[in-house]
Amino acid sequence: MNSFMLSRENFDKIRQEILLTWPTGKDLSLEEGIAYQKQIPPEKNFAVAMRQASENKETLIQPRAGVALIQDHIKLLQYLETEGGADLLPTTIDAYTRQNRYQEAAVGIEKSLQARTSLLNGFPAVNHGLAGCRQVTEAVKSPIQVRHGTPDARLLAEITLAGGFTSYEGGGISYNIPYAKKVPLQKSIDDWKYVDRLVGIYEENGVRINREPFSPLTGTLVPPFVSHVVAIVEGILALRQGVKSITLGYGQGGNLFQDLAALISLKNLAREFFAREGFDDYELTTVFHQWMGGFPEDEAKAFSVISWGASVAVLAGADKVIVKSPHEAMGIPTKEANAQGLKCTRQAINMLRDQVFPIGRKHQAEIDQIEKEVRCIMNAIYRLGNGDVEAGVIAAFAAGAMDVPFAPSVHNQGKILPMRDNEGFIRVFNKGNLALDDEIMDYHRGKLEERAAAEGRQVCFQMVTDDIYAISKGRLVGRPK
Amino acid sequence: MINVVLGVIGFDCHSVGNKILEAFFVESGFKVTNLGVMVSQEEFIDAAIETDARVILVSSLYGHGEIDCAGLREKCIEKGLENILLYVGGNLVVGKTPPDEVERKFLKMGYDRVFGPDCELEKVVELLNGDLEAKKDCD
Repeated sequence: MNSFMLSRENFDKIRQEILLTWPTGKDLSLEEGIAYQKQIPPEKNFAVAMRQASENKETLIQPRAGVALIQDHIKLLQYLETEGGADLLPTTIDAYTRQNRYQEAAVGIEKSLQARTSLLNGFPAVNHGLAGCRQVTEAVKSPIQVRHGTPDARLLAEITLAGGFTSYEGGGISYNIPYAKKVPLQKSIDDWKYVDRLVGIYEENGVRINREPFSPLTGTLVPPFVSHVVAIVEGILALRQGVKSITLGYGQGGNLFQDLAALISLKNLAREFFAREGFDDYELTTVFHQWMGGFPEDEAKAFSVISWGASVAVLAGADKVIVKSPHEAMGIPTKEANAQGLKCTRQAINMLRDQVFPIGRKHQAEIDQIEKEVRCIMNAIYRLGNGDVEAGVIAAFAAGAMDVPFAPSVHNQGKILPMRDNEGFIRVFNKGNLALDDEIMDYHRGKLEERAAAEGRQVCFQMVTDDIYAISKGRLVGRPK
Repeated sequence: MINVVLGVIGFDCHSVGNKILEAFFVESGFKVTNLGVMVSQEEFIDAAIETDARVILVSSLYGHGEIDCAGLREKCIEKGLENILLYVGGNLVVGKTPPDEVERKFLKMGYDRVFGPDCELEKVVELLNGDLEAKKDCD
């Protein structure tokens, strides 16, 4: 037990309140949930699957998927497992549940029943309750994870972990700043302490639950150092509550060398800062997200984006890759389109799995650059928090020393403006108040000037807009018309 | 200067396009009140009344558009905004659906124009200027 750990007394007090926020929470027993988890076979445990993938140097594939009704959701998952060949399954939670609007979710379930199709963009797990979740987790053969975007995910965690899910995505920063408008960072971090502590209690009772901070953040030109800082801080916050299986991630940027450097540096940096915090007993694995920004509408073009993401994931040695579908530009995919994304990904992985990509001097320089940037921001966080990473990260967001591009939260300054350099590396155009030193900024500026010269225009905001829509329009760098 | 109200409806927090739309409409000479993400129908209407807006630009990217957008026209009329233009755009329904089917659905709900996720913003402004001109003749 460390001094940051939520005490059992406080945990129980919060638990009593949180279980009463919707009728399906009322009769939940933690002991019964732990007993239920214990009879789940190891081949269905997410933490085991991630550890084995890492040991065997495999890249597992996982889709996103969730619909309103239990039977339809089961059919969807079974299809992705058998026809799509997914190694790991998701249950994506609908947007009403993510905002704790269970009444609206109930209306969505009702309307979906009437329409005979899902009008919700995910599975409303709180409304379906413990029995509904167990129906889902028992109907599939693979490890299954809750994927969402919930600032206050305490009740959802209680229900889904007792319901047989063995991995839980999210974190107090990554499920607030890109997913909420007005939730204070201290509030979401406190609420996620509860979730991590719940996972810690399962752990202490012999059940290992995997935790995965949401790395891509806004999915739009996020420089590697920005998502790395969030991943590392959330990793530390989870370790403090007794979590042992942590999967840190990175969302594809688009330039091969930057993406390889990002995934390699992420693991090094996480180990460095976890050690600094006094942690050495944990399982660290990685996830790579295929392109999270705007997709081409043309399905053949979309497959190209998916295949490129799959390729980079393998070459970078990611333990798992989150897969997109050819319907991405239009929103939520059909089960057929979702399975196609999985097959496309599998083919690329199998063709590249035995190949080794050598890291040359130029690539090492990019790894060093990302590490320098992350240490720069992390040092500011420790400085602002008088040595404590939690207080520091809250202060850093308030001061803009840490800043996420294009995020909806008012607690994020949003002054950072990223754009691509001439080779498609994501660089910082305007740093706002980010705690990056002059040497780093000179490097970024120099790279952007190279592009400006090549395009015969000044470095300008139009380039940012051009870059945001570039991939959906058919290329990586948003060149002038 | 023509006032427009802009926002992402319901519990949708897709913020990137919203920031681009704001920049584009400001550049096109409109006075933009951007309510950001997660905006309720009531907030749209209150802002439209407060700013004397001629048009409300509603975005929805997450698939719940069908539920979130229904009833806005009726609420506008209730609050005395009989003449306001309602534009809606984004990924408005769950799943890949033919655009004309989506358009029909939202026109029936009382929206004046319906746009997909890939619409050309120059075209939207052109249509808007035409619709504003036509409304002027009705007044």
